[in-house]
Amino acid sequence: MIEFRQVSKTYPGSDKPVVEDLSFEVLEGEICVLVGPSGCGKTTSMRMVNRLIEITEGEILIDGEPNTAMSGTQLRRKIGYAIQQIGLFPHRTIADNIGTVPNLLGWDRGRIKSRVDELLDTVGLSPDEYRNRYPAELSGGQQQRVGVARALAADPPIMLMDEPFGAVDPITREGLQDEFLRIQQDIKKTIVFVTHDIDEAIKMGDKIAILKQGGVLAQYDTPENILSEPDSEFVSSFVGGDRVLKRLSLTRVGEMDLEPANGGTDGLLRIDEGLTVKDALSELIGSGHSRAVVEKDGENGLLTFEAIEDLMGGASGEPSNGGESSA
Amino acid sequence: MSNPALLLLQDLTGGTELVDWEWLGENFWEDILPALQGHIFLSSISVAIALIIALPVGILSARYRKAYPPVTFVTGILYSIPSLALFAILISIPGVAIGPSPVIIALVAYSLLILIRNTVAGLDSVPPETKDAARGMGLTDRQILFRVELPLALPIIVAGIRIATVTIIGIATIGAYINGGGLGTLIFDGIQRQFPTMIIAGAVLATAMAIVADLLLLALERYLRPWARVRRT
Ligand SMILES: Nc1ncnc2c1ncn2[C@@H]1O[C@H](COP(=O)(O)OP(=O)(O)O)[C@@H](O)[C@H]1O
Ligand SMILES: [Mg+2]
Repeated sequence: MIEFRQVSKTYPGSDKPVVEDLSFEVLEGEICVLVGPSGCGKTTSMRMVNRLIEITEGEILIDGEPNTAMSGTQLRRKIGYAIQQIGLFPHRTIADNIGTVPNLLGWDRGRIKSRVDELLDTVGLSPDEYRNRYPAELSGGQQQRVGVARALAADPPIMLMDEPFGAVDPITREGLQDEFLRIQQDIKKTIVFVTHDIDEAIKMGDKIAILKQGGVLAQYDTPENILSEPDSEFVSSFVGGDRVLKRLSLTRVGEMDLEPANGGTDGLLRIDEGLTVKDALSELIGSGHSRAVVEKDGENGLLTFEAIEDLMGGASGEPSNGGESSA
Repeated sequence: MSNPALLLLQDLTGGTELVDWEWLGENFWEDILPALQGHIFLSSISVAIALIIALPVGILSARYRKAYPPVTFVTGILYSIPSLALFAILISIPGVAIGPSPVIIALVAYSLLILIRNTVAGLDSVPPETKDAARGMGLTDRQILFRVELPLALPIIVAGIRIATVTIIGIATIGAYINGGGLGTLIFDGIQRQFPTMIIAGAVLATAMAIVADLLLLALERYLRPWARVRRT
């Protein structure tokens, strides 16, 4: 668990703090996404956790202990670190890169080697093919995988990730995000994840901390609550006018409570249960139908506009929907 | 009339045999080989001492940026003093005898600027994100220097060593003027005795030595940088 307690940061030679009085908790096994416009202090906040940047005021607790309880280098060896620019060592093989922290921690060679192979498998790179290559021989997406594998190498309970999928094209990025979420289901790390992209924040976060200029926390909540109840003008404009649709992207049709489709489903549009409700809605509208069949566990359910409205629980909070704000 | 270069010119145009092969054979062991050995000694010891000074100074200058301008100022002045004048200044210092030591001091002084500059440039060329990742994973400053920065700065540092070595091998010939030994001895004696064979032997060997040293250093650098042999797929 990571706890920010009234953390402020003012860089030397400046009198304006870039992070101000920041307090929140990242629970064990959760991904907390720091999101906000460029320059709002996300990277600074993240780098104070492993003391790449020293705090000016306040403190950060890790499992109840101030992160100043040990030396900076000791602390950093216990915290995974992955950044957008990746920063692989160009003069080291992929295996040596991934083995960096285990090597610092004095693991024996055999243990490092098997760990490296295991991690290459985890991130979807064949160990036999990649372990002896140099970073320059990998594509951007492959390098980012190696960057993540390297951060995971010594199995640190905590990970810091600063736009870790930022340096690749959107399609590769989606793939890497899905893959990382799948990995996270097994490894359950406590993660501080920085991005400027609200869609990535919604997708990756168990919690989202939205920061505004000057490093002030605007809202800290689950993606669902941030989308349904943005608590300021700033947050609602930051999450965007399509926040109702974004909420639909949080749920897959397979997770919805659907009326059973009794009788004839022939000729009806069929929708895959793995689609997000947002994509399903898009298909439904595009098809010109008002209902579609979703097959789940061998049973057919009926997806209708009403079912989607029910899912939103009338709590969209859109003023144009009548202004009934749900307190 | 007594200008040796003029006499030499007359000699060259006068139809006499330019290279006396017989002399070369007879004096190889006694004159030529010791001169070559002396030259290798002078040059390599000078490059070694210069490196021992330049690497730490370069590393510190890259870290403490304020030190860099004065360092380049001082070494820049050393670099710009004409070599003959520097030899003269050095042997006029009490305690510095005529012989190899003032030559070595001068050669070291000449190579400092190039070596320090290339060390700083090499360290500057290391990508910031590579250093940041290293620090973020818990390497100490020392580990970052020796495991990340210096290996990545290597090509530029070695480029500096190559230029310094070639320069030193050339300038070292002048050291014979103050009895420093080396291939310059052949050249100066040849001028004195108006005997082109000796001059040519000294010049050709010095040139060959510079080329060989350059290639050896290049090969060393390639060997130390296996990652540079691969190309992006
Ligand atoms: N080392 C530094 N020295 C001075 N100012 C800095 C430094 N690093 C970042 N800043 C400033 O702090 C603010 C927040 O930066 P950063 O945390 O990188 O923002 P973000 O990651 O949200 O884009 C910016 O205005 C930036 O210019
Ligand atoms: Mg940033």
